Amino acid sequence: MIPSKFDYVKPSSVADAVAALQQGGEDAKILAGGQSLIPVLRLRLATPSVLIDLGGIPELRGIREDGDRIVIGAMTAYHDIIRDDLVKQHVTLLAQATETVADNQVRHRGTLGGSLAHADPAGDLGAVALALDAELVIAGADGSRTVPASDFFVDYFTTAIGEGEILTEIRFPKYTGWGSHYEKFNRTAQAWSMVAIAAAIRVEGGSIAEARVGLTNMGTTPIRATGVEQALVGQPATADAVRAAADRVTEGTSAPSDADAAADYREHLAKVLTGRAVLAAAG
Amino acid sequence: MKLLADMGAYLGLVGPGVPILGAFMFNSIYKFPAYKFTCTNVFTTKTLTDAYRGAGRPEATFAIERIMDELAVELGRDPLELREQNWIKHEEFPFTTVCGLTYDSGNYEQATQQAMELFDYAGLRREQEERRRSGDPVQLGIGISTFTEMCGLAPSRVLGSLSYGAGGWEAASIRMLATGKVEVITGVSPHGQGHETAFSQIVADQLGVPFEDVEVLHGDTQISPKGLDTYGSRSLVVGGIAIVKAAEKVVAKAKKLAAHLLEASEDDIEFSGGTFTVRGTDKGKAIQEIAFAAFMAHDYPEDMEPSLDSDAVYDPENFSFPHGTHLAAIEIDTDTGHVDLRKYVCVDDIGNVVNPLIAEGQVHGGLAQGIAQALFEEANYDEQGTLVNGTFVDYTLPSAADLPSFDTRVVSTPATSNPLGVKGVGEAGTIASTPAIINGVLDAIRHLGVTDVEMPTTSQRVWRAIQEAQGRSTQKTPVDTHSPGAGLGSIDPNNPQGEVQ
Ligand SMILES: Cc1cc2nc3c(=O)[nH]c(=O)nc-3n(C[C@H](O)[C@H](O)[C@H](O)COP(=O)(O)OP(=O)(O)OC[C@H]3O[C@@H](n4cnc5c(N)ncnc54)[C@H](O)[C@@H]3O)c2cc1C
Repeated sequence: MIPSKFDYVKPSSVADAVAALQQGGEDAKILAGGQSLIPVLRLRLATPSVLIDLGGIPELRGIREDGDRIVIGAMTAYHDIIRDDLVKQHVTLLAQATETVADNQVRHRGTLGGSLAHADPAGDLGAVALALDAELVIAGADGSRTVPASDFFVDYFTTAIGEGEILTEIRFPKYTGWGSHYEKFNRTAQAWSMVAIAAAIRVEGGSIAEARVGLTNMGTTPIRATGVEQALVGQPATADAVRAAADRVTEGTSAPSDADAAADYREHLAKVLTGRAVLAAAG
Repeated sequence: MKLLADMGAYLGLVGPGVPILGAFMFNSIYKFPAYKFTCTNVFTTKTLTDAYRGAGRPEATFAIERIMDELAVELGRDPLELREQNWIKHEEFPFTTVCGLTYDSGNYEQATQQAMELFDYAGLRREQEERRRSGDPVQLGIGISTFTEMCGLAPSRVLGSLSYGAGGWEAASIRMLATGKVEVITGVSPHGQGHETAFSQIVADQLGVPFEDVEVLHGDTQISPKGLDTYGSRSLVVGGIAIVKAAEKVVAKAKKLAAHLLEASEDDIEFSGGTFTVRGTDKGKAIQEIAFAAFMAHDYPEDMEPSLDSDAVYDPENFSFPHGTHLAAIEIDTDTGHVDLRKYVCVDDIGNVVNPLIAEGQVHGGLAQGIAQALFEEANYDEQGTLVNGTFVDYTLPSAADLPSFDTRVVSTPATSNPLGVKGVGEAGTIASTPAIINGVLDAIRHLGVTDVEMPTTSQRVWRAIQEAQGRSTQKTPVDTHSPGAGLGSIDPNNPQGEVQ
């Protein structure tokens, strides 16, 4: 289908974009990589009056080091994240998860900011941002504020980004030297996750010193598996110990049931995949 | 055979004909002493059913190839050996089956032996044993399908006896232009099958003209008013033969004119490599010269029209019976139920091959389609009969990344029912592959007590089947059929509460 009629603006600064957003009111929508928004427009599930394209704002694109943080502009494409040396070295889990998103074409257009703002519970990067305690910088008319990932995801397709606001950058603490793995389970090779597990583990002297585990598509938002994390700390990185800890993965989840997988099957998968993700992360 | 056939809400073009085609095929390559077939067509609230690549033969092949595997299990026999014991031996052709069809040619032993070697059947059976013994979470299954099919639709009288709504002939015309180029008009219009290439090859061979000089015209009733079209693996074996018949008429006319121009008796004219020569002399004329002479019409026999152009309508005397042996190695992750097709080998006997690349392409695409039916594709309806996965956002299709590199080979026992010795190939892949996959899935987990898994064998279905076979009942939470799954699909068009921010 063809989208309904809309106006199009392409501001060249964040301030201009925020102004355009305020001017456009409720019906204005931000366009990032368009990999979720364009299909939604074409199915006419959304009919915005104006699209504000962030593609003309250079400051929103790129990856830099800022002290103990790696800072990624909201408009940085997946393709660039996967190939970036800073990300590969300090936020390996993000590179690993991003590599599993869709196909090469989508990864050239889709952006980290768009993915997090879209907040599809089946999207792969929310669980990573949550598990790694990322901070999200949101700009509005009154300047910028920083929201921790734990407060960012509110509900199904709903985040802490308010009306008239734009997600500008995502700040990740460094996890240099940690082991990590993103274990994704899907029906076909390039599909969204039926369930996926994001795991980052720091092993010290053969036992697990710190653990961070995030869940994709096990509820209406990404979920942090704190029960598993607690159970892992202090354990040896052995199959038995890890599997016992993984059994706690369903605590606090509300897995969806759909044609591909009922909730009980997702819960089972989450346990198996958590074991695999943690063992792979622990190396 | 008792068949309950879902017609959907209305009858389509050949909806009720599909199970009838299958009716002739349930005995497949085996020697059955007796056979009975009853079919009840049922109207349902679903989308109408119509012919889909294979039409009737995939269902029949699925039934018989599943039965052969179940029988082998019950008898404790190797499933390939049991098939061989029951199939028609190569020296028994032509063979009239219990359904009254006469299979003209075939060699099941040859195709099977070659497939087993390529596949390393013995080696994979050993690996399977080893994985079972060690309780490997990843189990291996070997899927077999030794199929045949009736295609090349069809002798018109047979179709008449079945009250089919059309005949089964095909039409062709050849126009010899003054320039020496050749126009071929066919009633079988391709939509991607490469008829232009294959038919140009045939005409180049028949008339001895360069391949580049042949133009195949089709698809517009102003150009090609007569034809029954591309379906039922018939384009080459019926449409292609019609072209051969038209070419034979062109050569006969050209020979007469050549004899006249060369002042020789027609009996003394030989035709080879595009040139008519007088036997025992070096006097000759190229077919292009003859075409030009006909066009000029200055000098031609009294009892002839000044034209080489010819039409033919070919009504086949029999169906075409390609066959093949398809082998699949399936790995199942018993912890998640995930099914992975690791290896696929097929050796198809499609008679003489006109264009190997096109034949391989047909098998390749057919395999992907038939495998997708076994592993991925499904039309889901809710209780009201509403199709809930009607877009490609939520209808699962595999891509190249989900399939292995297929090892496809051909062997050739030429058909005796047509002058080119060719057999149909367009539907081989979809007919053969679905039961090969399902047999492989069951072979991988049968030792765990699983005897059946509904298609498509999704990871969830396989996992539940294993749990239930092991006495661990899985409590299936109610599925929301209107929620077609992850990603974009999670925005339910009927209830778009998840509309983007
Ligand atoms: C074929 C296909 C397969 C896919 N498979 C996967 C997959 O396996 N895993 C996965 O995670 N995703 C998948 N996706 C979705 C993909 O990751 C999208 O790119 C992503 O969800 C959105 O990013 P985008 O930059 O394209 O954003 P857009 O589509 O442009 O925008 C998405 C939403 O976010 C809003 N938005 C965007 N940027 C900002 C911002 N800076 N501030 C405020 N709001 C903003 C927009 O207004 C819109 O509502 C797939 C997409 C396609 C087309």
